Amino acid sequence: MSLTRRQLLVYAGATTTLLQLSPRFSFADEPPVRGGTLRMHIAIEPPILVNLTHTAGATVYIAAKVTEGLLTYDLDLNPRPQLATAWTVSDDGLEYTFSLREGVKWHDGQDFTADDVVFSLQTLKASNPRGRATFANVASVTAINPHLVQLTLSKPAPYLLKALAACESPIVARHVYGDARPETHANATAPIGTGPFVFKEWVRGSHVILERNPNYWDAPKPYLDRVIVRFIGDSAATVAALEAGEIDISTGGVPLSDIERIKGNPRLSVDDRGEPYVNSITRIEFNFDNAYLQKHEVRTAIAHAINLDFIRKTIFLGYGKPLYGPISPDMKNFYSPDLPRYAFDVAKANQLLDEAGLARDGNGVRFKLTLDPLPGPETYRRTADYIKQALAKVGILVTLRSQDFASYVKRVYTDRDFDFTLNGMSNLFDPTVGVQRLYWSKNFQPGVPFSNGAHYSNPKVDELLEAAAVETDVQKRFALFAQFQKQVVEDLPDLGVLTLVNPVVYDKRVKDFFVGAEGLGSNGAQIYIKG
Amino acid sequence: MNARRSPALRRLLRNPTALAGLIFLIAITLLAVFAPLLYPGDPLGMEADALLWPGQDWHYPLGTDALGRDVMAGVVHGGRVSLQVGILASLFGVLLGLAIGAVAGYFGGKVDYGLQRLIEIFQTMPSFVLLVALVAIVQPSVPTLIFAIGIISWPTVARLVRAEVRSIREREYILAARSVGYSHLRIIAHEVLPNILPTLIVTASIMVASAVLMESALSFMGLGDPNQVSWGSMIGSGREQIRTAWYLTAIPGLAIFLTVLAFNLIGDGLTDAFNPTRDRASK
Repeated sequence: MSLTRRQLLVYAGATTTLLQLSPRFSFADEPPVRGGTLRMHIAIEPPILVNLTHTAGATVYIAAKVTEGLLTYDLDLNPRPQLATAWTVSDDGLEYTFSLREGVKWHDGQDFTADDVVFSLQTLKASNPRGRATFANVASVTAINPHLVQLTLSKPAPYLLKALAACESPIVARHVYGDARPETHANATAPIGTGPFVFKEWVRGSHVILERNPNYWDAPKPYLDRVIVRFIGDSAATVAALEAGEIDISTGGVPLSDIERIKGNPRLSVDDRGEPYVNSITRIEFNFDNAYLQKHEVRTAIAHAINLDFIRKTIFLGYGKPLYGPISPDMKNFYSPDLPRYAFDVAKANQLLDEAGLARDGNGVRFKLTLDPLPGPETYRRTADYIKQALAKVGILVTLRSQDFASYVKRVYTDRDFDFTLNGMSNLFDPTVGVQRLYWSKNFQPGVPFSNGAHYSNPKVDELLEAAAVETDVQKRFALFAQFQKQVVEDLPDLGVLTLVNPVVYDKRVKDFFVGAEGLGSNGAQIYIKG
Repeated sequence: MNARRSPALRRLLRNPTALAGLIFLIAITLLAVFAPLLYPGDPLGMEADALLWPGQDWHYPLGTDALGRDVMAGVVHGGRVSLQVGILASLFGVLLGLAIGAVAGYFGGKVDYGLQRLIEIFQTMPSFVLLVALVAIVQPSVPTLIFAIGIISWPTVARLVRAEVRSIREREYILAARSVGYSHLRIIAHEVLPNILPTLIVTASIMVASAVLMESALSFMGLGDPNQVSWGSMIGSGREQIRTAWYLTAIPGLAIFLTVLAFNLIGDGLTDAFNPTRDRASK
């Protein structure tokens, strides 16, 4: 679940800006420059600096620069070497081998070996909230020799090769952890890794300093001397700091309406591509335990009553793509483009509700519902305001409820005391990891946040998801997910609103910060400052 | 009673700043009361183009916000919530504070000691933090806001009332009332309270101002009732556009500023009016 305070950007505007800027981009062929300090801003201070036993979203922007993964990914999510230089997968999808990079040293001077990989993957499987599911089929991890690791699976896991980025599955040093409990080990707050930057200090509430690793395996990288990560929660202060040149790059910290203005700043620029590794979406989720919402006609009527185009254009200022189903159109290998759509049609919505026998009373109200928008982002609050107005037109009286984040999570996932909610989810790098959890009936688990909150249960959907989770044939897997999407759009346990983009605002002197699927969550070795 | 108050009222009306405050307050109250007639329908309804500037379309004299909601309708309807919460919350706070303060001051002894400690417990807690916590526990809605703001504002009144009552209860006429055999309730209600009324009225007018501010602060933070527009929530939702459409924060901000100022001016005017000696001395 990743969600930043503001997600936006005017699509058309961004396109033209990119076109205007394209001559400048051709300078990227020039050789990178060594030296300089990158002052990076993130809005939320992470609780820890290694995402080994934790999946806090903001962690990765710092963690991946110190602690690396086996693989990294290009913008199309194709695996590229990081700590692993080569890998093979057996035809039956049950055996993986990774050749490890030689001559890599941990920041404390010790050698990086296969033992570290075995320890890390086992810990991820045992203690990482997502790792438990991702590595569930991994029966054993063995070090064949100091530079060769073998994974044996009980069932195929076609998503596994995508799950090995530093920001998802970090490789930590076994000798640092020893026999201590990884959940509480001090390495989480003062990490030792193999990455291009060495952890120097963390002043809570203020900043983290990372210094250049002079012994990095990929010399002459890293180009930067130092990375300072600053935490500023207030968006107005963030914008002011960017404009004053106190920070060089910010992710998700700039409010929607300021982006257009910032584009006029000759020194700053905006990148609104969104990280292909994350794929955030916004959706309206219906609670099937509600007497009205369990009726298919009612959900369909709601889908017809809401003008998703208005939400995208007016509230999200045109940023994000329309979302018609459970899988983000940015996940090109899984997204099915020919899904049925619910056109904005108030008359049809009224007709459906009439047919369902839900007549209007004297005040024109058919029935009442309470909407719980995800607390925090102003865009969500506005979208909730809009939904209230839109549903009033078809006789559904919506009451909005505001609360803090913890109460929201408890209400929806533990107490299940809600009618419908507006929330954001990450589809991540593979639907089995990021999407299945929201629709699989076996993942209706009260108490588990960001699970199947709708209490949606369709045996056909379960079957498709379970088959896709172990299907190694790419075509067949795509077909299974296509069927799944069609079924979910028909059943409407949730209504997709749009994909979320998380614009990065940066000083134009900062180059090459977004070269792979992890975006700013990459190891940052290639970033340089010029001019 | 009447004879005692009318010269005070006359003095109040002769005070130009207090009069200005009073006139503004009456105007804003009338607007708030007649809001459903002036701007029928839901003020949160999205009916116009988004981000019209004030004066750009005279159908929306104060412009529209990021979702195309009429700012004028918002200000008028928002005044309803702000004034309603402000007045009722301070009324609740005053009544609670009055009851506790009067009991503590009149009876003294162990009752006083116990109530004093209770007041201190509330006074040691940072009031706004307590307010946020209260609203976070119960659902934010107009009645809960009134309750929560009342709960944090009564200790001031209680202390004030207690001190006043203590000084009055030793007076001869109270002793006389006691010796005649009046009940405690009758003595408090008929002999003590009328004498502390001026202080109470002045305090209440200032309390309304701070309650309006607290309601605005809560709504600004998104802890108000999301189903009703209030000045604070208008500022909160316009805050993102402060650099591009400053009128969205400036207009409701001005409304809060003027209302709070009006209550304070009236409060000052009342102090002078009830205290003619000080009034004359200052001249």
